[in-house]
Amino acid sequence: MDANGGAYNAAAYQGNSAPSASASMTYLCAECGYHNNIKPREPIRCFECGYRILLKVRTKRMTQFEAR
Amino acid sequence: MESPSVANTAVGFRTLERQFKAINPGQKHEYPEAQKLTEPHIQSFNSLWERAGPRTPALIDVAMSLVEKQTVYDHKGDVESPLGNKIVFWLDTIRLDHPALSARETKSSNRLMYPTECRQRGITYRGRLTGMLHYQVNDNPVVSEERALGALPVMVRSNRCTLQGMGPADLIRHNEEAEEMGGYFIINGNERVVRLLVAQRRNHVLALQRPSYGSRGPGFTPYATQIRCVRRDQTSQTMTMHYLTTGKLVLRFALRKQEYLVPVSLLMRALVGASDKEIFEAIMGGDAENIFVRDRVELLLRAGKEYAVHTRDQALAYLGDKFRVVMYAPEDATNIEVGQLLLRRMVMVHLDADRDKFNMMAHMVRKLYAVVSGECQEDNPDTQQLQEVYLPGHLYLGIIKEKIEDFLLGVRAEINKNIRQDRVDLYNNRYLSRLFAKIPSDVGAKLQYFMATGNLVSRSGLDMQQVSGYTIVAEKLNYLRFLSHFRCIHRGAFFTELKTTGVRKLLPEGWGFMCPVHTPDGSPCGLLNHLAHKCRLTTIVEETDIVETSLVRMGVEPGLPAPSQRDPHLLGVQLDGRIVGYCSQAVAERIAQSLRMLKLTGTLPFSMEIGFVPRSHGGQMPGLYLFTTPARFIRPVTHLGTRQTDHIGSFEQVYMDIACLDADVRPGITTHQEILPTHILSAVANFTPFCDFNQSPRNMYQCQMGKQTMGTPMHTYAYRTDNKLYRLQTGQTPICRPRIYEDYGVDGYPNGANAVVAVISYTGYDMEDAMILNKSAHERGFGYGTIYKTEYIDLGKFRKAGDPVTIHFGLGTDFLGNEEVMEHIDIDGLPLPGAKVKDGKPLYSIIDDVKGRTKIKNYKGEDGFVDTVRLLAGGLEDELQVIAITYRIPRSPIIGDKFSSRHGQKGVCSVKFPAIDMPFTETGMQPDVIINPHAFPSRMTIGMFVESIAAKAGALHGVCQDATPFQFDETNTAADFFGEQLKAAGYNYHGNEPMYSGVTGQEMRADIYIGVVYYQRLRHMVADKFQVRTTGPVNPLTQQPVKGRKRGGGIRLGEMERDALIAHGAAYFLQDRLMNSSDYSLAYVCRECGSILAPIAAPATSHIVDLSGEGKAGGVTGLSPAEASAILGSSSVGHGRGPLDLSCRLCKSPDAITMVALPFVFRYLATELMSMNMKVKLDVK
Repeated sequence: MDANGGAYNAAAYQGNSAPSASASMTYLCAECGYHNNIKPREPIRCFECGYRILLKVRTKRMTQFEAR
Repeated sequence: MESPSVANTAVGFRTLERQFKAINPGQKHEYPEAQKLTEPHIQSFNSLWERAGPRTPALIDVAMSLVEKQTVYDHKGDVESPLGNKIVFWLDTIRLDHPALSARETKSSNRLMYPTECRQRGITYRGRLTGMLHYQVNDNPVVSEERALGALPVMVRSNRCTLQGMGPADLIRHNEEAEEMGGYFIINGNERVVRLLVAQRRNHVLALQRPSYGSRGPGFTPYATQIRCVRRDQTSQTMTMHYLTTGKLVLRFALRKQEYLVPVSLLMRALVGASDKEIFEAIMGGDAENIFVRDRVELLLRAGKEYAVHTRDQALAYLGDKFRVVMYAPEDATNIEVGQLLLRRMVMVHLDADRDKFNMMAHMVRKLYAVVSGECQEDNPDTQQLQEVYLPGHLYLGIIKEKIEDFLLGVRAEINKNIRQDRVDLYNNRYLSRLFAKIPSDVGAKLQYFMATGNLVSRSGLDMQQVSGYTIVAEKLNYLRFLSHFRCIHRGAFFTELKTTGVRKLLPEGWGFMCPVHTPDGSPCGLLNHLAHKCRLTTIVEETDIVETSLVRMGVEPGLPAPSQRDPHLLGVQLDGRIVGYCSQAVAERIAQSLRMLKLTGTLPFSMEIGFVPRSHGGQMPGLYLFTTPARFIRPVTHLGTRQTDHIGSFEQVYMDIACLDADVRPGITTHQEILPTHILSAVANFTPFCDFNQSPRNMYQCQMGKQTMGTPMHTYAYRTDNKLYRLQTGQTPICRPRIYEDYGVDGYPNGANAVVAVISYTGYDMEDAMILNKSAHERGFGYGTIYKTEYIDLGKFRKAGDPVTIHFGLGTDFLGNEEVMEHIDIDGLPLPGAKVKDGKPLYSIIDDVKGRTKIKNYKGEDGFVDTVRLLAGGLEDELQVIAITYRIPRSPIIGDKFSSRHGQKGVCSVKFPAIDMPFTETGMQPDVIINPHAFPSRMTIGMFVESIAAKAGALHGVCQDATPFQFDETNTAADFFGEQLKAAGYNYHGNEPMYSGVTGQEMRADIYIGVVYYQRLRHMVADKFQVRTTGPVNPLTQQPVKGRKRGGGIRLGEMERDALIAHGAAYFLQDRLMNSSDYSLAYVCRECGSILAPIAAPATSHIVDLSGEGKAGGVTGLSPAEASAILGSSSVGHGRGPLDLSCRLCKSPDAITMVALPFVFRYLATELMSMNMKVKLDVK
């Protein structure tokens, strides 16, 4: 497949089966601590201060592994 | 009972005070001494961009004023002006901005960029560099435009850093250490430092005698004088004057890495147009009776006759003619002008006036003759007396300057190319703007490359001796290691390969400047030194007019002495490599004293060196040498006359009388005294307690181990994304520490823990430097550490720049609901912070638009936890492409981990003993650590014994013990001082205690030396080192196990190990190691022809493999009968067919084929040999 074909296919696939969940996730701004709700493929910028590093919040799941 | 003097009460833990400061940070640094450690780095960088005084402009402006304006002609002229139109262009007003966001960042409230963001995002901390480009065509008005020169890496905490001038409170607000020292650059997220390098002392003539000079060519002798001239912009040009057997002198210098030799007489004539008489007088000086010199000067002048050059203009024209091309001179310049350009740019560049250059050249000649005649001694270029430092800022400027010059030369070359293509049109503005736009001027990228790799890519070589190794990563392994990166000073890469070891020698001239203890052992020993902790490096260009007027007022006769004065004892007076004048020795001595007083009163620069070298018999060339230049070593001492602090340099120190202790002061002779004897040690060496009690190599080992300790490198773990960070969870401040701990704030960065240490030979688990760890101590957290590892995942790496984004982080619908995956990965495709990660388990997932599928990526490595997941804004695209995952890997101490005390006594934990089995004292104390008494006799680390009782007494009395070296002597011993304290606490004076076996409960026959010693946990841990394998990956070519721990390879059993096994007669074991556990293979061999390659399977007649061999299994060589029969099958009685339908291609017969066990490489060897037409024949019976 040549380079153009690849690009064409990429565009074609974008519609049907880029099957990511479209639910937004909450990330913390590393500068101001603002809770940003960011959808997949949105820019990584804090809505509040425009900072360029976001942190994933700690999991709410049980994380006790060895009760010894 | 009389209470003993408990140690110096001025030393305390100050726990509450420090805690208060930690939670209420102020705007003033708590530890100004720590800030001074990086001073040479920061100040030298600062001096580039801001003026230091009213008459000392910023070095970048000085540098640009020294860059020649480029002149090009378009050759479109007529008969009258054949060169045609002229264009002159140059750059100036170079400015560096504070690091800021790019204009594309529209959302941000704060435009400034701070270092922490660069560290976390893995980008470079840099600011915009701009300059003004000017050009003028013929006599038209000058056109000026701003020119972007790229983004230049900025030194943290310099005057171009956004953290400039911040105090602890502000620094903490910007996620930095409260006492951030700066001095490094952030390149792609890594902290990198420009190494300090030793340089030859500038503007001072060195007499050298090197056998290699003698073999440079016909007539050359080993004698030469050398001067490293430094321009006002701190770039240098070294010149060497060689003495030839013919009496000629030639000056050698390098221009664009090409060496040129120029006769000295020619240069002296070109400089001032001196007649023979003048040259003669300038060299002879007052020493007209010196027949040796007179004869040589005569020869020199006679040798100069062959050029038929008599006047200054002739000399200049001669030089100009020869150097026209390499000097890139303008086409319209006459030979005389080119000659002047050569003198200005290459000869004695530290001086401006030709007369000064001439005088200095005469001095160089005189010194050369003096060393040849034995009147003075050749200099040792390895002494600190004749050395200074290449400061990071100056090196940086040198590269910037050269890259700007490269840009201008690039434009020039482009115009010349266009002239040949006849496309040049200097009156066309579009042509001009396209011309300047075409030549890249990204100076910033060049500097970033330099910082990232440490490689110097340079046209001129910048008068440096090496091309690589200029920058190093400032590893934040612990506080001591980080800090020592700024204090280490390297002799130069050239010397690392030198077979002679003279350069590595510890010389007395370095007293107080270089630490005698803090150098690594092994190959860099003596080449990689560290500055003594109070040693400073001058960074400011001083104004010297006042020095000069004072000199003349005090009786220095300006110029050179005339031979008519007929006084061979006149001494030259030099100020920064310029001959100010001359005077007699008595006057010079008086002047030196007066200058010292003026310096102390503040009239003269505080860092000025007053090097008075008196006349001697064959010693150093006498004279009064004054230095005020930057990049010199200086250090504070007390001036006894005024009780003031005087800063002395390494040149003058040799000729000064400085007492160390009070007892050393000799009235009438001693002028200065050391402030503290510990000032000779580096910061790290100073942290060794009671180091004066130890054998010296042990202190060197401690300097090494202190830097390998798993400690507390920082308080900002949450904002760091270093590859690997170590953290000691349960750090303590030592009970026993030198006073200097306070100055450098080491209390905030603990490197270990106080352990109760018993010195017993107990159970044998403590032999050979092993140590027994109390299991309960371990459970209380002794030595518990953590490793933080950060992994960057950049999806941009999978596509070319400019291609559309087709890979995203995310968990597609194809895996949504997959419990096994969802357990580890969130719906955004990223790992869950706090979750446990295990080798081979899912870590993150990406969605590939092209394939339309989700790809799960697994975690590789040690078990740990996801600490932080950072989503980083990338470069050009907006959506998420880069993440940084930080893992937390717990590392509790296990058997095989390495520990050490602070006295070069390292050991490996050999067993964790249960507390019940540990011996105990009468008070019920159990040791945390047991070490073997054999660790002491040969190593003589008495300091450890002293620390043991001192800390024990400190713990009993609840005080902090002062462990500063050089506090005790024979009459007032440490053993007595701390022994009395122990006695007062009700313990044995000597530190011994009766102990009971933990196993039997019986009292031991001997009292045991038990005390408290501060123990460091070293970063070498078995978890990073163990290597075991049963079976595993093999090399596809040889079938032998691969090497390397990372790949699960084996450990080589080499030739020497093999020899040992042979010597033991361990034949079966040897067979097992070299064959069975390695590349054991079975091969068919033809007994007739002996080939292992000829047997080949016959074309299959049936797909059922017939294992019926010939049944003579016992005859198969190399296999046991049982093995062979198992493989070949023993049931068959058939004849005429070999096993497995094999037949020999050479013998055309299947009869003689049999099976042997062979190393697989042997088969490979046979194949290789076959390719060279060689046959391997096995003699199989």
